Amino acid sequence: MKLTSLLERARGSVLLLLGVVSLAVSLDASAIPVFARQTGFKCVACHVGGEYPQLTSLGRMFKLTGYTMGNANDIFNLTTNIDRPPVAVMLQAARQYYTNTSSGNWGTAPSSSMDMQVYSLFYGGHITDNIGMFGQWTGQKYNNTATGTQYSNSDSIDNTEIRYADRIVTANSDLIYGFYVNNRPTMSDVWNSTENWTSDWIGYFNGGFATSPGLAPTTVLQSGGLAQAAVGVGAYVFKDKTWYGEVGVYKTPTHGPFSVLTAGASGTDMDPSPYVRLAYNQEWGPHSFQVGAHGMVSNIHNSGLVGASDWADTVNTYRDYGLDAQYQYVLEPHYISAHLRFTHEDMSNAAGTANPFGVTPTNASDTLNETWADITYIYRAKYGAMLFYRGATGSNDVGLYASSPTGSPNWQSWTPSIFWAPVQNVRIGYMYTFYTQLGGVTGNSLSNGVISTLAPHDFNTSMLYASLIY
Amino acid sequence: MKQIAKILTLSAVALTLGACSSNLERSRSLGNPNVSGNTLAQQVCSICHGEVGNSVNGNSVNPTFPILAGQQAVYLEAEMQEFHEHTRKDKAAQDMMWGIARDFTPAQIKQLAEFYSHQTPLPNPAAATADPAMVAAGQKIFNEGNLEKAVPPCMACHGANAEGNGPIPRLAGQHADYLYKQLMAFNDDAMRGEEHEKNHSAGSEEDLERPHGVAMEGIAHGLDDAQKHEVALYLQSLK
Repeated sequence: MKLTSLLERARGSVLLLLGVVSLAVSLDASAIPVFARQTGFKCVACHVGGEYPQLTSLGRMFKLTGYTMGNANDIFNLTTNIDRPPVAVMLQAARQYYTNTSSGNWGTAPSSSMDMQVYSLFYGGHITDNIGMFGQWTGQKYNNTATGTQYSNSDSIDNTEIRYADRIVTANSDLIYGFYVNNRPTMSDVWNSTENWTSDWIGYFNGGFATSPGLAPTTVLQSGGLAQAAVGVGAYVFKDKTWYGEVGVYKTPTHGPFSVLTAGASGTDMDPSPYVRLAYNQEWGPHSFQVGAHGMVSNIHNSGLVGASDWADTVNTYRDYGLDAQYQYVLEPHYISAHLRFTHEDMSNAAGTANPFGVTPTNASDTLNETWADITYIYRAKYGAMLFYRGATGSNDVGLYASSPTGSPNWQSWTPSIFWAPVQNVRIGYMYTFYTQLGGVTGNSLSNGVISTLAPHDFNTSMLYASLIY
Repeated sequence: MKQIAKILTLSAVALTLGACSSNLERSRSLGNPNVSGNTLAQQVCSICHGEVGNSVNGNSVNPTFPILAGQQAVYLEAEMQEFHEHTRKDKAAQDMMWGIARDFTPAQIKQLAEFYSHQTPLPNPAAATADPAMVAAGQKIFNEGNLEKAVPPCMACHGANAEGNGPIPRLAGQHADYLYKQLMAFNDDAMRGEEHEKNHSAGSEEDLERPHGVAMEGIAHGLDDAQKHEVALYLQSLK
């Protein structure tokens, strides 16, 4: 596409972006979301270059100490400082450009013009000296994985966590310990190298794979597929800002108090499944480094929470374990971060039993090796560039990866992205995801059930977006 | 399974009730005047202003955050007061310290100043990698000033070993990046003053990043960029 033609097509979007910017700059830039109101910090204190969700050392400590630091409300006296309400809102508008919008049978872009895509309400923060909360409720105008118009206008609970934490500091020891309940494996993590808090969220908005089963597969743990379906309780320790250990148990509750944290019947029925996280953290000068291990064993039943019962009581088991690392350089005006993650998955598949993504494997066992890496540079907390790599290799399974001519899971994608934050509450960016391999092929032999001559690049996606958080 | 769910629920409720008793000794509340300065130092300040392994000793790791160990108590008190009043406006102050000091009481400020002034400053590990030629050039400025631009020797006020005195801060061992940024803040304030003079407009303290650092304005302005770096590196190397 010629640049002029692209600009012509993007004109409406640019006008809307300018509108958002002028609105934002007229707002009081010191009035910002929940935790910022509570602590009085600017975004850049806890987020690398102000770029949420990546956490700085201070951000990690804030989270590990249970979101309790600061001063916003006092539940004992039932008072809230009127200037610091414990709520915030995030609005995100976007225009998406899909390569494969030509056929109505495929996933089409959620909107052909700049449109409101997602809105989130955040709430929580300090509850008592030891208990705090991260609450998020999200409304989504479109279901990005559906075919057709994709208009769904759903809203439901999103990432939510309540923590109890205590910190014991003496002259030669610094120990944090705590407990949490949350509704997404990896939500508890404070490094941005596991699924929930990575910054490559365009994958979430990519509807290009609708009707093409098994393309770009991920491990169960790092897929986000259990988000707001599974609820977990866990305990953690962080010793001397160096050693971190955490164990949790997740399951999909159907009723009882924990089901409040789910977004309703999800179709996934998971037995209590253990989650483990270990990390070593080091900080020197403006640098910090973390290397860690993560693992989860998920036992997922054949039937969902609704529909047919699981008479045969068949269970698929997913053993996920891997290594991850993070590097950060945080010193105004330069902010750099890099992440690397490798997760191996052993699948034990019961005959005729679908995986959490609704696809039924052919083999009794499969393996998948998922790799994910990113690098971010931000200048003066205003101008940023990111590059993500995602991919996987594994055993062929014609049932799981039906869109591939050979049943191969192998894929590779790159997502370069740029963004601009004119004020800390606003981010305007452009992301482009391109696939160099899908279904084990680089040529045009992928099938979406209608056409069998698709190439990986037919699934490329780009997105122009603006987000406002206030 | 139901048993486990019940046990977990009951534990969660018990935990919640147990925690509702106020925890003054280990509180991270920045709005409770009953939380002592010592507790704040342990629970809050130590996150950024401490060492790995000894969080409360005031020897910060990241140069964004100044080393507080052994700092002059009078100076610490004055700065915290300025953060509290939003009169000190350099970027890091606005990003973090305005929030931290927002609801500080005079008693908490005094206790914190006492606490950190009594910590032992450690040699700055970054000093080992500094260019010795730049450190030597910085030492010359520190001892002799920059006569060409009428900059007096730093040691005249900050002391022979940059140990400070009352309202004049200790600079020895401080992060070079932090010192350089403060020199730039004083420099920018000097230029703001010049701008007002040129336009015959009345300058206001509210325009200044560090209005209480007037004494430093001309000095910072009299050092070029390289000299600011040099003197900052020399100060960082002092023990």
